[in-house]
Amino acid sequence: MIGGRERYFLEDRVDAQAVDLRLLRRLLSYLRPHKALIALSLLGLALGTACQLAGPYLIKVLIDRHITAGRFEGMTGWVALYLASLAGAMGFLYLQMLSVSVLGQRIIFAIRKEMFARLERLPVSFFDRTPTGRLMTRLTSDVEALQELLSSGLVSTVGDVTVLLGIAVILLWMNPVLALVTFIVLPVLVLFVEVLKKFIREANREIRRKLARMNAFLQERVSGAAVVKAFVQEEKSVRQLDALNEDYASENIRLTNYYSFYFPGVELFSSVAVALLLWRGGGQVISGAITFGTLVAFLEYAQKFFNPIKDMSDKYNILQSALASCERIFHILDAEPAPEYAPALPAASSAAPAAAKDFGIAAARAGEESADGADGTSPVPAIEFRDVWFSYGDSGAGTSPDRGPVLRGVSFAIREGEMGAIVGATGAGKTTILSLLCRLYEIERGRILLFGRDIRDLSREELRGKLSLVLQDPFLFSGSVRENVEAGGPAVEAAVAAAGVAEFAGGWEEGLSTAVGERGGRLSVGQRQLVAFARALARNPDVLLLDEATSSVDPVTEDEIRKALANILAGRTSLVVAHRLSTILSADRIIVLHKGKVRETGTHRELMEAGGIYRRLYMLQFDVL
Amino acid sequence: MFVSSLFGLLIPWMTREAIDGIAAPDGRERLVRAVSWMLLFAALHGTFRYFSRRGLLVAARRVELALRRDVFRHVIRLPLSFFGATPTGDVMSRMTNDISAVWLFLGPGMLMLAGTVISYVLALGFMFRISPLLTAVSLVLAPVIILVSREYGRKFHKIYRKVQETLAGMNATLQENISGIRLVKAYGLEEHEEGRFARDCEEYLRRNVAVSRTSAVFHGAIGFLAGAGIALVLLIGGWLVIRGRLTLGGFVAFNAYLAMLSFPTMALGWVINLVQRGGSAMGRINEFLRLPVEDLAKEDALAEGAYAPDATPVLEFRNLSYAYPGEGRGGVLRDVSFSVRPGEVVGLVGPTGSGKSTLLSLILRLYPIPPGAVFFEGRDVNDIPVGRLRRSVALVAQDPFLFSDTVLSNLCFGLAEPDADAARRAAGQARLLAEIEEMPEGFGTVIGERGISLSGGQKQRATIARALCTGARVLLLDDALSSVDAETEQEIFREILSLRGARTILFSTHRMSSLSRCDRILVLSGGRIAEEGTHDELLSLRGAYFDLYSRQMLSRELEASS
Repeated sequence: MIGGRERYFLEDRVDAQAVDLRLLRRLLSYLRPHKALIALSLLGLALGTACQLAGPYLIKVLIDRHITAGRFEGMTGWVALYLASLAGAMGFLYLQMLSVSVLGQRIIFAIRKEMFARLERLPVSFFDRTPTGRLMTRLTSDVEALQELLSSGLVSTVGDVTVLLGIAVILLWMNPVLALVTFIVLPVLVLFVEVLKKFIREANREIRRKLARMNAFLQERVSGAAVVKAFVQEEKSVRQLDALNEDYASENIRLTNYYSFYFPGVELFSSVAVALLLWRGGGQVISGAITFGTLVAFLEYAQKFFNPIKDMSDKYNILQSALASCERIFHILDAEPAPEYAPALPAASSAAPAAAKDFGIAAARAGEESADGADGTSPVPAIEFRDVWFSYGDSGAGTSPDRGPVLRGVSFAIREGEMGAIVGATGAGKTTILSLLCRLYEIERGRILLFGRDIRDLSREELRGKLSLVLQDPFLFSGSVRENVEAGGPAVEAAVAAAGVAEFAGGWEEGLSTAVGERGGRLSVGQRQLVAFARALARNPDVLLLDEATSSVDPVTEDEIRKALANILAGRTSLVVAHRLSTILSADRIIVLHKGKVRETGTHRELMEAGGIYRRLYMLQFDVL
Repeated sequence: MFVSSLFGLLIPWMTREAIDGIAAPDGRERLVRAVSWMLLFAALHGTFRYFSRRGLLVAARRVELALRRDVFRHVIRLPLSFFGATPTGDVMSRMTNDISAVWLFLGPGMLMLAGTVISYVLALGFMFRISPLLTAVSLVLAPVIILVSREYGRKFHKIYRKVQETLAGMNATLQENISGIRLVKAYGLEEHEEGRFARDCEEYLRRNVAVSRTSAVFHGAIGFLAGAGIALVLLIGGWLVIRGRLTLGGFVAFNAYLAMLSFPTMALGWVINLVQRGGSAMGRINEFLRLPVEDLAKEDALAEGAYAPDATPVLEFRNLSYAYPGEGRGGVLRDVSFSVRPGEVVGLVGPTGSGKSTLLSLILRLYPIPPGAVFFEGRDVNDIPVGRLRRSVALVAQDPFLFSDTVLSNLCFGLAEPDADAARRAAGQARLLAEIEEMPEGFGTVIGERGISLSGGQKQRATIARALCTGARVLLLDDALSSVDAETEQEIFREILSLRGARTILFSTHRMSSLSRCDRILVLSGGRIAEEGTHDELLSLRGAYFDLYSRQMLSRELEASS
């Protein structure tokens, strides 16, 4: 529909063959740590296949020596041998199946873990531009497809290939001419399979894409059911689904068509092969060139030969969709992690070499001391922005608009123990400042310092150990109230009391153990905010960041929170984004942000006297017009 | 399907003819004849198989399509309380996984099942013709195989369900981590979450290995049993051939039939599993389909003439008391009575949890309400078709929810067809026009998950524009400007007030500056209307409203002086 989406799809259409090889090689690299299992499975496979292929040969012996010869004596022995070979085949193949399957499970386990770890470390901008629905499809269906390949697909494919090779060798050994007659249909068959599988692969990709689109639509309509209802758009939604649904079904029907053609086609080829074998082999039996037993054995082998080829398409289908999935999984694994997890890069503005990370910190410390001059009498600011430039545009994948820089040379400093407040109109970049401080995004120019150290020089543990953020949307994880607060830190009881959570949760039967439901849906918006608040307090942060945290709480509750905060904020630095001036008024330093620039800073009184933007905002809020 | 199976089974019969022909005097001719027949049958078998397979699978796809459509059509009409009580993941899993399970049962499942039954009946017929004794011998082990299959099916089902449960848990963790990624990062919870996920993964691994072990044992056992059957047939068949009671061709063909049956027998367990899963999936889908839907198209209880859009009052509440189902403790609203005249602007104020949002959503009948409590244009809302009611009253909810679609589609969500002029007008009123025009494709820009993300304030203004786009006579704003800055709120509010007279407006807010410009203010407290009047009247009452007001004033004065 739009440029960005098409581009996304185009990314998927990479040259199939090249990709397959590259993907397979990468997938195989996961096998390395499991050598013992591989050896075990190969052993099982070799012995099992040998036992399996002995069967028809034993039948040949049985026919030639006993049945056509009319001798019953000694036949029981051959039958017993036949049974023994079967038992051996089953035993060894069991061993092989189990070891390959365990192997597959282990690999998928590793991939899953790796994928999740990578996911957690991707920059927030990745999540901004990737729809949750599509991401979920990748992380669930795609991994499951790969799992199917690795657990069941791999077992049977490896087995099938061995059987095919084994039969070919035996047939050539028994009678080369007859073997070649059997194989005569092979080139045509391979061509047939090759052509169809191309279509099948294409259809499978298309199906996945369409399914993802449809599921994203469904998901959105379900989570936005209230809006659909309020605007009476049920009918329209059904119509929209119809189109997506029809699209998906028709693609599936296309695939069904290919398969319906495929299976009977392959069977026809095998029948032709059997017919040729009978015709040619029968003639040879009559002329006495071969025995009856050889012909029968050939027939049996031919059957065993074509059966795996018949399922080969199924296997191939699994392989194809798994590889397509694999490709997408590797896309995620290859996605650039957020830089805080990678070795520090040279800051755009500083000329420090990349290798000197430790040196950089040491230098910053040294700088601190020299800047302090008189032993900490003029302490380093807790938070400092120096000429920070930032735009979201470059992080988006073509879908983000080129909105230009959100922050244009923002500089300010908050001293330790101070409460800083950022005010400004919507879209001024207030929330962005908090996100940048947490390094959810990377700045383009300038520096952000926390207690005198560039946040790019801090490890994420260090950085996040110092900060606590309350988001505008108080997102809660499903689980109990207590679990949600504990996610913030260990000081649960104090935090719960301070944030006023204890007050309303105390009235509940299960108290803090009450489940909050999906996304905290069982709590009111205000309650959710209080829990989010408690979560932020639970870690006793050095710096508390609030993003309009009190905006949808009524004045009474707001007042309570503010009182509680006053205690906790003592001795703690905080930076608050809020448009409720009642909160801001208690700030030590107010930063007035306008269109990405700091226009005014100072205390409330200073700003009022200055008579700038701040004064206008203030008048609007409090002077009854 | 029957025909295709028949032709398929005739192929080994021709093998018999060919082999027996070899031994006969006119060997070559009989051989050629049998081989030609065989090719013909193979071609026919293939052709029929193509059509039967395609027919059945396509039909099943059509059923899947219709089922998905019906389920969605039903679910989207379920009352809002359903969506509140049912996790999105649950609804989604029924609309995706369960529907797939039904398709698997109807398509491949039925195909296999029918194929198995037909092949069995026909193959047994042919085998019986070759040798009744041998047929009896080959069937000796059949009950054992079926028993083993069933036992396996049961066991597999049980383990498999546990596997699915673990998988569901893993997926829930994933989903949460994606939606809450900012939080995970801001709190440095990556390792904590990884640990949680890894534990799930390990559990999943363990259970999957158990599944593999069970199925490997099963396949081994079945294979061995089938092999034993074949050995038995070899022994007795060989003896019969030696005795001259069975031809060699018959013997070979019999073995071919037996081999043909071994696959369906083994697949039986799989088919049984498909049937079971399809059945339980259909059960879960039916649970949804059985729930009563909102009657959108209910016929008017009253004749069109009795409908009075100019009725006074436009909204009336009579002793409305309301509690959410399953929630005791006195309820959200208690004995609320008030009325709103057409064109009036009424402000609602009160602390969190005082029932403002509930009051507003009840007007739209988003939750079932008792009769005789809420009246719209003189009629009990329960007597007005839901569709018409909701088209007449536009609600802007507290949580701004937009769809991943173009700006235009989002703003015109309430209209039958997108209307660019209406969208432009509404965007202007909501003070969003300039920002939309700055977007790369203007009104055609895709927002939300698939496109660009808007700020909280932009989202709220977009939802207001969406409501203004509709021709609704009544506008309900539920704290809809909380993320918009004060200046913009005043501008938007001025625009909305200019609609005064044409539209009736009921809104909740905490901002005094907005409240002071209302015709009337209702103060809600603990689910009751504590006070009612204009800003000045309420201030002179020196009650709850005055409290709220002076609290704001006091904090200003206190902190301004410090």
